[in-house]
Amino acid sequence: MGWYILKRIVQTIPVIVFATLIIYALVFLRPGDPILNLFGDKPVSEATRATIEAQYNLDKPFIVQWLLFLKGALTFDFGTSFSGQPVIDQIQRAFPVSVTLALMAVAFEAVLAIIIGTYAGIRRGGWFDGISLVVSLLIVAVPIFVIGFLFQIFIGIKADIDWLPPTVGGDWTITDLIMPAIVLGLTSLAFAMRLTRGSVSENLAADHVRTARAKGLSEGKVVRNHVLRNSLIPVVTFLGADLGTLMAGAIVTEGIFNVPGIGGLAYSAILKGESPTIVSVVTLMVLIYVVMSLLVDILYAWLDPRIRYA
Amino acid sequence: MNAASAGQTPLLEIRDLDVAFRDEKKKPVPAVRGASLTVYEGQTVAIVGESGSGKSTTAHAVIGLLPGTGHVTGGQILFEGKDIADARKQDIVALRGSSIGLVPQDPMSNLNPLWKVGHQIKEALVANGVATGKAADARVVELLEEAGLPDAERRAQQFPHEFSGGMRQRALIAMGLAARPKLLIADEPTSALDVTVQKQILDHLDHLTDELGVAVLLITHDLGLAAERADHLVVMYKGQIVESGPALEILQDPHHPYTQRLVASAPSLASQRLSSVEHRVEVREAALEHAEEIAQEVADSSAAFGQGRDDIIEVKGLTKVFTLPGKGPFNKTDFVAVDDLSFSLRRGTTTAIVGESGSGKSTVARMVLGLLEPTSGTVTFDGVDVAGIRGKADRLRLRRQMQPVFQNPYASLDPLFTIYRSIEEPLRVHSIGTEKEREAKVRDLLDKVSLPTSVMRRFPHELSGGQRQRVAIARALALEPEVVICDEAVSALDVLVQAQILTLLNDLQAELGLSYLFITHDLAVVRQIADDVLVMQNGRLVEAASVDQVFSSPEQEYTRALLEAIPGGSIPLGVVEAGDVLPEVTLDD
Repeated sequence: MGWYILKRIVQTIPVIVFATLIIYALVFLRPGDPILNLFGDKPVSEATRATIEAQYNLDKPFIVQWLLFLKGALTFDFGTSFSGQPVIDQIQRAFPVSVTLALMAVAFEAVLAIIIGTYAGIRRGGWFDGISLVVSLLIVAVPIFVIGFLFQIFIGIKADIDWLPPTVGGDWTITDLIMPAIVLGLTSLAFAMRLTRGSVSENLAADHVRTARAKGLSEGKVVRNHVLRNSLIPVVTFLGADLGTLMAGAIVTEGIFNVPGIGGLAYSAILKGESPTIVSVVTLMVLIYVVMSLLVDILYAWLDPRIRYA
Repeated sequence: MNAASAGQTPLLEIRDLDVAFRDEKKKPVPAVRGASLTVYEGQTVAIVGESGSGKSTTAHAVIGLLPGTGHVTGGQILFEGKDIADARKQDIVALRGSSIGLVPQDPMSNLNPLWKVGHQIKEALVANGVATGKAADARVVELLEEAGLPDAERRAQQFPHEFSGGMRQRALIAMGLAARPKLLIADEPTSALDVTVQKQILDHLDHLTDELGVAVLLITHDLGLAAERADHLVVMYKGQIVESGPALEILQDPHHPYTQRLVASAPSLASQRLSSVEHRVEVREAALEHAEEIAQEVADSSAAFGQGRDDIIEVKGLTKVFTLPGKGPFNKTDFVAVDDLSFSLRRGTTTAIVGESGSGKSTVARMVLGLLEPTSGTVTFDGVDVAGIRGKADRLRLRRQMQPVFQNPYASLDPLFTIYRSIEEPLRVHSIGTEKEREAKVRDLLDKVSLPTSVMRRFPHELSGGQRQRVAIARALALEPEVVICDEAVSALDVLVQAQILTLLNDLQAELGLSYLFITHDLAVVRQIADDVLVMQNGRLVEAASVDQVFSSPEQEYTRALLEAIPGGSIPLGVVEAGDVLPEVTLDD
């Protein structure tokens, strides 16, 4: 197992290096002049332009820019944004809120998906199963910004609950994030629910479940000990991967609720063409994905004793 | 113990039981009709029947574990005089484990892979109030020991995947008997296991249930096994009990036509009959005659692939070593699957390779077919070294001469292909004939395997297992091969269907002069099809001899063990011989 983890970590190195290269190339090829963006409509003197270009290495070929970035990254120096803030500071500010939001969203999603999915799976074809299917399809069909705005209007503004504000802002607290977390969790709730349902109803028909009944276990024990744990393996795998997605890819939800997270940071950096920030943030996202998939694999082995990595 | 002790209340009495399933339109589909049987305390009763006969359904109805939409529609199930057919759910749950135990069929799928084996047995003790905590743990070890599992204390702490099939079945026996039930339902308890393991487990189960005075309801498809293990037999066919009575009586004097056919065809019994030996001799003579003509043609023709030799396949020093990842990062271990195997297959005859799982027999088949490269050694087809064949054209020519039939007729046919397309495909791949000619050929092939041409437009799932295997044989014969390699070709089939397919293979051999390499784990079927036998164990050749020699005077201990493990071997034969004209029974196949 230790050897396997080491191997996986070593494998991430080329992934990261090439990811930064691709991102750098894309930023370089992007139309528009970052310095013009920076000054808006005001004219820029040649001298100022040369100074800024030299400061941010914009005068060098992009492969050199990339190598300089890699060199800096080795010492945790990810450069500075055009507004003069070190990128590492920007990330440090945005990262905790994104992680908290994603964890809350996945927790909400997991609890609801497992409870509803299990019940629907046991009563497959019943009315509960039917209603849960219709509702979950409805949620999937409606775009997230529509759900987000509906929540803002009806819960944030009309109901006007103190601890559920319609927007989050810079000084956020855990309760501020409840509403965005629910909206974010809803996106993949339907899938996790259907996955649980299918897995449960399949496991209910398994031979070893019949054996468990035959030895005299009550129905509740059969479901808890022999159906649920077996059924959760694929669900946990999905939720783990989903956590990675939600951490990095919550741009729309962060935008609606004004959450100062990683998604928003990446978005504004892309608009401004700040390559150090874009590359650092996207690299971090890649890293999150890679680490999450490794964690999921480890979790998988822990849940299922048959799985051994070598 | 003798049955029908007058005045004694039976432990289990099933009266006119009807069980039905509901189809998609919620219409009832009867699975068991009017079944009645009685089990007395300490008695062993066997229900015998093929798949779909309703034998497992009857057993599951007793313990209230009918799958899916199954439900009792009529009749009574009296357990100790009380009707449990319509009992409340909690009353049945109370009976399970403590009064009625179950040993299920497939040990691979009947243990929860996520819990330690000991924990799963402990559950049975706790649920039935036998013991809890430390006492239960100790009892689990005793139970495992009792079930014949060595090193029980350590084994209890292991997961099911660390157990072999036989060990898992022992754990399941320990589980079924954990709360000391009065009745044990054993549903095909050993059909998924190797024959020698099967015998050990059944012997042990017999011994245990005798000692504990537990009555056994044994469900099996194997008449020989049932007769050997049970006092009383119940034969089921299409949901109905067609015959029941003392085991020996049924075997020696079957009344119902279905039972008569079963007694005549069951390989475990047929293998002892002289008639099957005589029949085989006739087949061989006819096949050899045809094969000689073919060999002559091949030898005379310069365009032919082979040289027309007597030994159509010669295998010398065949070895296959698989490299497996070891414990550490860079260490690998070698696993010798086939170790220095040499044999030859005479044109027009059948050589059977017999061995238990893991003996390397299927690996041999794959290497002979050229689907797997040997580590060392040679395979020669009619004088041509298979390894030396280069180029697509020559490879295709080799494939034409050698065709496989695999074990699972459910998996070896593409579910999206019509039967016509499946059989026609090899002809198309080898660009043989025009479309019209290919269709004529497919019709001819279907006729050869005794299938109506109407199946051409149908899909595999619309056919029974036996019909599918006939299709697989037709496909193998499409290219008019000289050698057919049957890898467990009849193992997945019911006994009667098995007998039909063996007859078909024999007929085809006599008619076409085919040579068969017949891979099987079941020594019982060998006598009806093979001329020479190779016994393999752990990748090595243990014994090579003619069929008669193997059956009459086996030289090796292992071969003797395999022979002894054929169920029903010690039972005196019935009066019906395989060659006798039997009344027709309509079969689904």
